[in-house]
Order: sequence, then structure tokens, then C-alpha cells
Amino acid sequence: MRKCVRCGKKAQIYLYSHRLSLCSEHYLEWFENRVERTIKEFNMFTKEEKILVAVSGGKDSLSLWHTLIKLGYQADGFYINLGIGDYSQKSLQKAKNFADKYQLTLHTLDLSKEIASIPDLKAYDSRPTCSLCGSVKRYYMNKYAKEKGYAVLATGHNLDDESAVLFANALSWNVEYLRRQYPVLPEDDGFVRKVKPLCKISEKESALYAVLAGIDYIEEECPFSEGATSIEYKLYLSQLEDKSPGTKLRFYSEFLRKLYPLLKESPRGNLQKCEVCGEPSINSLCNVCRLKLKLSSHKEKI
Amino acid sequence: MEIKVIYRGQEMTLHLEGEKVKAKDILKALNLSKDYAFVVKNDQVVSEEETINPGDHIRVVNAISGGTL
Repeated sequence: MRKCVRCGKKAQIYLYSHRLSLCSEHYLEWFENRVERTIKEFNMFTKEEKILVAVSGGKDSLSLWHTLIKLGYQADGFYINLGIGDYSQKSLQKAKNFADKYQLTLHTLDLSKEIASIPDLKAYDSRPTCSLCGSVKRYYMNKYAKEKGYAVLATGHNLDDESAVLFANALSWNVEYLRRQYPVLPEDDGFVRKVKPLCKISEKESALYAVLAGIDYIEEECPFSEGATSIEYKLYLSQLEDKSPGTKLRFYSEFLRKLYPLLKESPRGNLQKCEVCGEPSINSLCNVCRLKLKLSSHKEKI
Repeated sequence: MEIKVIYRGQEMTLHLEGEKVKAKDILKALNLSKDYAFVVKNDQVVSEEETINPGDHIRVVNAISGGTL
């Protein structure tokens, strides 16, 4: 029987990549300390700054919000209702329940009132649904944080998310994307600071924290994520991790340490202001305004 | 041995070979890796070596999620 390295009680958890046995109480402490260390390592934010946490109702965002509050940070939540039927209804309820339980502020935004729901937008965009959804979410998260006066936008991206993206970008040596893959993107013209405090926390560690801390999160997957390439990449990396624990952490951490410094000259690439809404954009018209244009021309035809 | 498990909100029954079942057998039966999944027995997270009995309340958590990165 493995024993907790901190207190000697029966260990419930063994972290293969860290070779660490912990009881539930000391696991929660370990997790919170690791997030705190990551925040400090990358100078993400201070206790004096207002943080907006992007909340989906899932394990990562709710574990992040819970941890930030426990660590004494000023963190409010922001939920975007994507209009994905029953899935959005359930996830919104989970986010609301969490905010109520801990008496926290949760801002919500209804995408169907701002532009259109994700299922409706799908008809106007040829990208995979997850890419479309991601770009629309990033637009509104940044815009909302700016409008409400938050200095920092925190997302629940974890080590598995980051290593899967790194893997995908390395497969095609997508230098522009690799250049932006850092756990802190500083505030810039039109952008609030974006941070990923769970970047060194694996997906399983995040779920363990949620379960052990008694967080009620949505376990079912978004119906549009089925077959997403990101999941496939995660499964490939998981096979490597099974054979050689610590591979994902090494892959990501060593990228940040060795390769990123060579790429970082221009973290956000060459951006301009969207001609219509003024938000940062690669093209003269941003993704969201382009979608809005397609929607309005479609309505005119009807 | 028949074991009832809750997996992603759904109850299902697993038929496992042998007299003694461990948490890792449940993960294997669901084709899940210990790298991203774990077993909760009677509201306690347990190691892969934990013995499971038919009367135990078992929940399996698959941490992997996808979509927007």
C-alpha cells in the first residue's frame, strides 16, 4: 500500500509523472501550490488585479476558479452560452450552481443575442465547428473583459490541451501559432492579458482536483467535439505517457524553455484593427464581423 | 463478476472475468488509460490496485476532453 509522502496515511492518488503518492487532503494542497507556482513562474497576475475566469462548467475552468479563490485572488467568472441545446443548458446550470455555492460573481453572455448560436453559425463557416467556436469565444472573452475593466483573462487550458496543440503545430511547423503558444500573452493594443494557470496541470490532475474538492462539473462532452483531432492527439500522447510518464510535461516545458525564446519576437504576429468593430484582427475584417456579414446577407436573401 | 458503474452520467453493467476485480480491470474493460481516467469507489478516489466488489458504488471518470484548444 502506497502512503502519502506528506502525512503517511493511505495514499489515494499516485502521480506517475511526479512519482508522488498523496492522500486526498494533501493532493488538494499540492494542486493549489502547483498552480500558485505556475502563476508566479510566468508573472501571470497579482492579488491586486481583477481576473476574469472563462468558465464552461467543465472540470478545468471550475477547478481553476476554485483554486484562484482559495489562493486569495480576485476572480470573477464569465460564461458564454453557445446555444448548443441541452449541453449548454446543463453547463450553464453547473457554472451558476458553483457561483452560488461560493457566492461568486458570474457574468453571462448569450451568443444567440450577440451574433447567433454555434449550431446556426456552422452553416456560414467552413471551418471545423471547434475552430469556429474557439475563434468566436476568444473574440467575446477579450471584448467582454475589456469592457468590464478586467486586467486579465484566465482560461482553464491544461497540460494535455497545450501539449496536444504543440504536437499539432509542430507536425506542420506552424511557426506563427507556435510563437503565440505561451501561458501568458501580455496586454497589447486591443487585447487584455491572457493567462493559462493550469498549463502544467494534466487533464487527470484537474479532474482529480474537481472530484476531491466536491466540484459538480459537466462530465458529458460537447456534441460537436466528437472526433475532434485534438482528442486524437491527446490519445497519441497518452500512449507515450503510459510508457514513459512525464513525457507530456517534458515536451511542453522544454518547448517553453528552449524553443519559445527563439520564436517570441512578435507574440501576436501582425495584427490590425477590424474596420467594423475595432477589435484586433489578422485581416481588415475580423472573423466575427465576417460571420455577421454572411448572416445579414443571408437574411436579406430571405 | 458483474459490476455496475456510472460513466459520464450513464449507468452501465460490466461483465468481468475472474473472482477478484481491481480498479484497473474496470478501466481496461472501458478501454481507458490510467493516464487520463480513474475510479471513484464509494465516493473515494482509489488506486488502480484497489479491489472492487459487486456492491460497491463505482463511478469512472474520464478526464479527456476535446474541442477548442
